Amino acid sequence: MKRSLIPVLLSLWFILPVHAQLDRSKPPQPGPPPRIDIGEYQRSILDNGLTLIVVSNHKLPRITCNMLIDYDPVMEGEHTGFTSITGSLLGTGTLTRTKDQINEEIDFMGAGVNFTDRGFFASCLKKHSEKCFEIIADALINAKFNQEELEKIRKQTLSGLAMEKTSPDAISDRLNRQLIYGTAHPYGENVSEQSVESVTLEQCQHFYQAYFRPNIAYLAIVGDITMEEALPLVKKYFGSWQKQEVPRHVYSTPEPPEKNTISLVDRPVSVQSVIKVSYPVMIKPGDKNYITGKLMNVILGGGTFRLFNNLRETHGYTYGAYSQLNHDKLIGSFIASTEVRNSVTDSAIVQILYEMERLRTEKVPAEELDMVKNYVSGTFALSLEKPETIAGFALNIERFGLPADYYRNYLSAIKAVTPEDIMEAAKTFLKPQQANVVVVGKAEEIVKPLAALTPGKKIRYYDNEGKEYDPAVQLKPAPEGVTAESVNEKYLEAIGGRKKLAKMKDITSSMTTTVQGMTLTFKNYRKAPDKLLVEISMGGMVMSKQVFDGARGLVTSPMGNEEAEGEVLETLKAEAIFFPELDYAKHKITATLLGIEEISGTQAYKIEYRYPGDKRTSVYFDLASGLKIREVSDEGTTNYSDYRDVKGLLFPYQMDAEIQGQALKLQVTDIEINKKLKDELFKI
Amino acid sequence: MAKLARKIAALLLVLSSFGLMATGTKISFVHYTLPNGLNVILHQDNSKPVVAVTILYHVGSKNESADRTGFAHFFEHLMFEGSENIPRGQYDKITQNAGGVNNANTSQDRTFYYELLPSNQLELGLWLESERLMHLKVDSVGVETQRKVVKEERSSRYDNQPYGSIIEETFKRAFRVHPYHWIPIGSVQYIDEAKLSEFMDFYRTYYVPDNATLSIAGDIDIETTKQLVSKYFAGIPKGKIPIVRPQVKEPPQQAEIRDVVYDNIQLPAVIQAYQMPAMGTPDYYALDMLTRLLSSGESSRLVKAVVDQQQKALFAGAFPFALEDAGLFIVFSIANMGISPEDVEAAINTEVEKVISGDVTDKDLQKLKNQVENEFVNQNASMAGIAENLANYHVYFGDANLINTEIERYNKVTREDLLRVAGKYLRKENRLVLYYLPKSEKK
Repeated sequence: MKRSLIPVLLSLWFILPVHAQLDRSKPPQPGPPPRIDIGEYQRSILDNGLTLIVVSNHKLPRITCNMLIDYDPVMEGEHTGFTSITGSLLGTGTLTRTKDQINEEIDFMGAGVNFTDRGFFASCLKKHSEKCFEIIADALINAKFNQEELEKIRKQTLSGLAMEKTSPDAISDRLNRQLIYGTAHPYGENVSEQSVESVTLEQCQHFYQAYFRPNIAYLAIVGDITMEEALPLVKKYFGSWQKQEVPRHVYSTPEPPEKNTISLVDRPVSVQSVIKVSYPVMIKPGDKNYITGKLMNVILGGGTFRLFNNLRETHGYTYGAYSQLNHDKLIGSFIASTEVRNSVTDSAIVQILYEMERLRTEKVPAEELDMVKNYVSGTFALSLEKPETIAGFALNIERFGLPADYYRNYLSAIKAVTPEDIMEAAKTFLKPQQANVVVVGKAEEIVKPLAALTPGKKIRYYDNEGKEYDPAVQLKPAPEGVTAESVNEKYLEAIGGRKKLAKMKDITSSMTTTVQGMTLTFKNYRKAPDKLLVEISMGGMVMSKQVFDGARGLVTSPMGNEEAEGEVLETLKAEAIFFPELDYAKHKITATLLGIEEISGTQAYKIEYRYPGDKRTSVYFDLASGLKIREVSDEGTTNYSDYRDVKGLLFPYQMDAEIQGQALKLQVTDIEINKKLKDELFKI
Repeated sequence: MAKLARKIAALLLVLSSFGLMATGTKISFVHYTLPNGLNVILHQDNSKPVVAVTILYHVGSKNESADRTGFAHFFEHLMFEGSENIPRGQYDKITQNAGGVNNANTSQDRTFYYELLPSNQLELGLWLESERLMHLKVDSVGVETQRKVVKEERSSRYDNQPYGSIIEETFKRAFRVHPYHWIPIGSVQYIDEAKLSEFMDFYRTYYVPDNATLSIAGDIDIETTKQLVSKYFAGIPKGKIPIVRPQVKEPPQQAEIRDVVYDNIQLPAVIQAYQMPAMGTPDYYALDMLTRLLSSGESSRLVKAVVDQQQKALFAGAFPFALEDAGLFIVFSIANMGISPEDVEAAINTEVEKVISGDVTDKDLQKLKNQVENEFVNQNASMAGIAENLANYHVYFGDANLINTEIERYNKVTREDLLRVAGKYLRKENRLVLYYLPKSEKK
């Protein structure tokens, strides 16, 4: 044993000198801080107003280009999707190049080009840069859109939507946007099947012509290129882009909810809840509290910090928990997010709100603040490894009107922040009492504890497309043997029977309603099989007319005449069908009996009708009388009552409609049938 | 709108691609081994005050036993618990306090850890990594917490995501005897059963200097760094337990395998997985280029024909999922609305058959080479990427200099090679075909 120890001791002696100096018990001290060089950018403005930003970095023989066309966000309304579809249409053809040519040329260079509704992103090797500019500029400036490509994009978009409906993250993002900004703000708009269906080529062309203009655009080029090289290239290929005044838009500023509101999307297959705590926030680079706000958010959850440590490392609820304080020119947002197993959904929300509240009421310990300052300063330096970071700084300086040395002073600004500043920022930016709490998860397992979180306040339910519904409205199954057809037959019987209905060839009806103290008169003319005329008049003067002659539709209003197209035409066409109940199949309408629902104390069958083009309406039939009592479509809800006999047929004389939040009471004053209406009446 | 499809595809691509670094600008480095067997690779680039300290352990899920799947990845989480000198919960804080970030990931073949730091914190990075290699400290509180965290990770990334189980279901069927049968996240049952004592055995076996590669890139001085590496790592003893690597070979597939998975989805997906040789083998490079011919760029075969012209798929892409022992050539597609998976599969097969029957031009080949060239230039962009690739090339191929020369292997590929490997591997008998269908269609 002794002998064998000798080599061991010898070897110890050998390595000891090195390790004797090594004290492992404490982290080693850092070397002197390296010089942080922000890096320079060059700026130039072309005659057409295009702002060019160049950041040179010659390490690798490549360049990347990023264009931002900085128009005010556009409200898309019932056609939501046309801006992004316009972005997708870019690159599908120009005056001189086909789509295949564009794609082939880009791919052959090994380049990557991606067009968006605000410009493009492109990367290529330096040796290909001229060719790359040529193609991109052509695709952007001389775009030629065509219907076939629109239809392809529409189909892809619809499939994408179908896919998103199954993804808890996508469902959550969508509802979250809608709740933060509201549907009256462009940031809160979401595409739907109907809106995508309604997008026309003309809309995209108008949008492209009006908004894709150089005078509001920034082109940032980064990489193995100098301003001296870039400027002639950009002038050559983007110089012919015509400037033009671009429409401006102003929107009212979204407000946070008055109280915490839990919004739930039931996804019965979920094994985790996707949670977001969110609201709109006003924050922009250059704001007095921008840097303290950002720092405060880092402490909370801008990395593996308080939320992460609490929800993951202390409680084991989740794989990760983070928060973002997003700046924006118009309106920013705060979003805290995590995904947790179903059983701790409520606990996770409590902990998120607790951490938000804690920052507002407890001063952050100096040691923690120092650590976060070090982290933010260090990662700021790390981010400078990418030249794209410097281009991003340049864009912010230009867009937000920051002083030229804003980012050079960034680190010293961070250094100066105190715990008091952080608390001040938390009080400004954190609203643990005024947040949207958005949960996508399995309602059955999470809803009870969730309800206990906001006593006296109801959980709001949304479907996977962001439509709100009342979960108390439960459909009961219809009894055995009852079908959509039998409900329909009973209805036809109740209003007079097929025989009498078949003899009816036209109807003329009048009704009145009062809107804001004014009386409106509706005169409806219908003629079998599919002609329709509606006149709306006020004080005896016709204000508006809708007519459908069996093929075309025309809408007349004080603004002038407009041929009905797209969704408007589809609606008119569906509306004009003379008693579709007589023969659904012929009109390619499918009817599905969904079950029994209670409508203000009356038991009713609910039937969903799907028209060609996927327009849907739900109609409710009184179980006892068989009469139609309610109709719900995208346009709104209408209740029918006061059925009266007109020559052996029953018609509702009272209609209560709710259309886009507006309540309308329509009173029928007169109904006449078989007046032998002439076709000329419906002529366009 | 096809965002989600792209996300899935990007994930597949990240999982399936590594390497093909090369020249453009030559990456210089020094590579040496400490007496305890630790491989050290250093790359100096003083242009930005940044350093990446990385360490690769040659252990992954393929080293697990079938009743402890997920073990290597679970253990990766425990490596952040602390050491003799780093109390629990301090590992991240120390890194952050130094202005840095850290993370790790586990694949079938290796586990990779890194710190990205301002360059004056190089020594801290070495201390952090040497601490947990030398004397990791894990207690039962740490194990129980991470057990929950790992299960949530599995839920977030796989179980609660539409199409989230694709890789798992594909590998399960494509490899029947090789441990590639399971994927690094492992099964919930075995995550539940793993014990602290087993972790310590695992640690003593695989987390030893002679199974590790320390790769550092950035604003360093080579000589000083060598001294620092020696200071922190030379005293760590060699491993004493022999490492047994899986020797099992997956037998060649004899007949097409077809199966259906019902998932919480609306649009069907079709996955075709052809058996493919391991990364770095001669045929691998031609197969990698074939995947690009099929789906890299709008003008590629599947994107142009199946996605754009025929409108059959929302997304279609081919990925070379190459691992150390074997690989899969995966073609993944999601059907457009109203299109049956059979229809999508037939459309894809038509394009693949065209290639096999000789429809590849010299211009096609040049395009692929241009794409490869563009890609490797871009992959040399960050210090973290360079450090990781140097380590990968050393561990998998025994030659870190492939970071500069692997491109030549691509450039050697001929049109005939493309046709040959297409005919050899993209055969019906050599593939698994998996349909993902909506649960509502389950009878």
